[in-house]
Amino acid sequence: MNPVRSLARDKVASPKDLGGATSYGMKESLKRIWSTGWTNFKRNSYLSLGTTGVMVLVLLLFSALIAINFLSLKVVTSLQEKVDITAYFKPDATEEEIMKIKEDIDELEEVVRVEYISREQALEGFKANHAGDVLIQESLAELGSNPLQASLNIKATETSQYSAIVTYLEANKFRSLIDKINFYENEQVISRVESISTGLQNWGFILTMALALVAVLVTFNTIRLTIFNQRQEIEIMKLVGGSSWHIKAPFLVEGGLYGMFAAVVTLVIFYPVVYLVSPKMEMLMPNASLMGYFGSNAFQYIILVFSAGILLGVASSTIAIRRFLKV
Amino acid sequence: MIEYKGVSTTYEDSFRALDKIDLHVKEGEFVSLVGPSGAGKSTLLRLLTRELIPDEGQVLVDGVNLADLSGGDIPLLRRKIGMIFQDFKLLSNKNAFENVAFALEVCGAPVEDIEADVPKVLGIVGLNTKVKSFPHQMSGGEKQRLAIARALIHRPKIILADEPTGNLDMVNSYDVVKLLLKINELGTTVILATHNDKIVNSIGRRVISMDSGRIVRDQVEEGKYIL
Repeated sequence: MNPVRSLARDKVASPKDLGGATSYGMKESLKRIWSTGWTNFKRNSYLSLGTTGVMVLVLLLFSALIAINFLSLKVVTSLQEKVDITAYFKPDATEEEIMKIKEDIDELEEVVRVEYISREQALEGFKANHAGDVLIQESLAELGSNPLQASLNIKATETSQYSAIVTYLEANKFRSLIDKINFYENEQVISRVESISTGLQNWGFILTMALALVAVLVTFNTIRLTIFNQRQEIEIMKLVGGSSWHIKAPFLVEGGLYGMFAAVVTLVIFYPVVYLVSPKMEMLMPNASLMGYFGSNAFQYIILVFSAGILLGVASSTIAIRRFLKV
Repeated sequence: MIEYKGVSTTYEDSFRALDKIDLHVKEGEFVSLVGPSGAGKSTLLRLLTRELIPDEGQVLVDGVNLADLSGGDIPLLRRKIGMIFQDFKLLSNKNAFENVAFALEVCGAPVEDIEADVPKVLGIVGLNTKVKSFPHQMSGGEKQRLAIARALIHRPKIILADEPTGNLDMVNSYDVVKLLLKINELGTTVILATHNDKIVNSIGRRVISMDSGRIVRDQVEEGKYIL
């Protein structure tokens, strides 16, 4: 055997030197690590409380970001839902020809739905919309014929695709039947909605990432300070022969415990707040029910908060303890 | 057993703490290291625990050059050496039992052995009534006896005591030295670094005087505190 290993392994005090006792197993080792981590967590109560408090703020921030992302997505979707284009047909276009164009458009991937509105339906709709307006009703009666045009109302999956659909229509063999497409009147509105949607999504993502980074740094520094306070203990553990793993593992357990308790406190605070805020948000945005969202995704959300808390705690402890192990 | 061969150590601030030290300590010896502050006593001890590696020369324990130990072997070396410090270096969030038990836990000792051995060792150093006390609930003398119990628990071959009486009154200082002598009588090599001339003169064993990183005197028998 290598003389160095021989000094280190055979001649140093080992369980054998303690009267032939055998080394304890993995189960015992894990039990000891868990118990030491839990004891440290309880005994450093002020430090634990402070660190857990900071992590609660971080997890609440994460939860708020999830809620904001959900709301901004709802805003974008409702804005996009309000945008469509309509192609109006000349009076001499037959229903058969229009239906042919409808079939062509329906085949496009970008199109969610195409709705045909005949001249008669358009007139009925117009009359119904202006039922109380005597002047309009009289004017229509005086005209004697139907002045309205048949049309196809087109809804695309994304606002950015309308321009491609219009190009397609203009290149269609039945182009001559189309009188006008209201895309050009709506173009500005459509591009505005598009830029707002893209802006909300991009800035939302950047903001989320920036705040998440701040949150991770705050957690890391808080745990680092907690471990910094125990640096002398770590030094002593090294000097009495503690292996890096033996010293490090209870700190990782402690970090995980901060995250776990922070997750519990976060949930206890977050759900009542959502319960109170949700009806007020629904008054502003009828389709955006925060309670409904966090209620139907409760399982995933709870798992996410616990995983984020524990992972943040353990990862921060792992990084923070590294520099104090060099004795 | 312990050998320093032409050992020199310079700290980061260019302070030369040890200058070509040659020293041999036999198994079972009791050696007192004396000298003014900055003479190199603590550095000499820190080389033995591999807190430091010499710039020149070799430090050997049982013929093994400590500079050759890998990171994973260092904890095993430290379990072979019991250490006692002036500032006790006790774990403040652990009670007396746990402080001593920790040194056994890191060796991988089973719970039954820990529960049997720790009270025995605490009894040897006279702390059987303080098993559940935390360091902040103990006097200076009790803290140092607890540190000795921790150093003894894994029956080390070497005990290094760095100014163990520095924070103690004379009565407690003599108690600590008596304990160290008792440990030495059982075959453990003891190296004691101290400023305390009365203590050194009362021991009457080998005394090594150091100054400016060098050994200036080595009295192998019946040594006295002479600088």
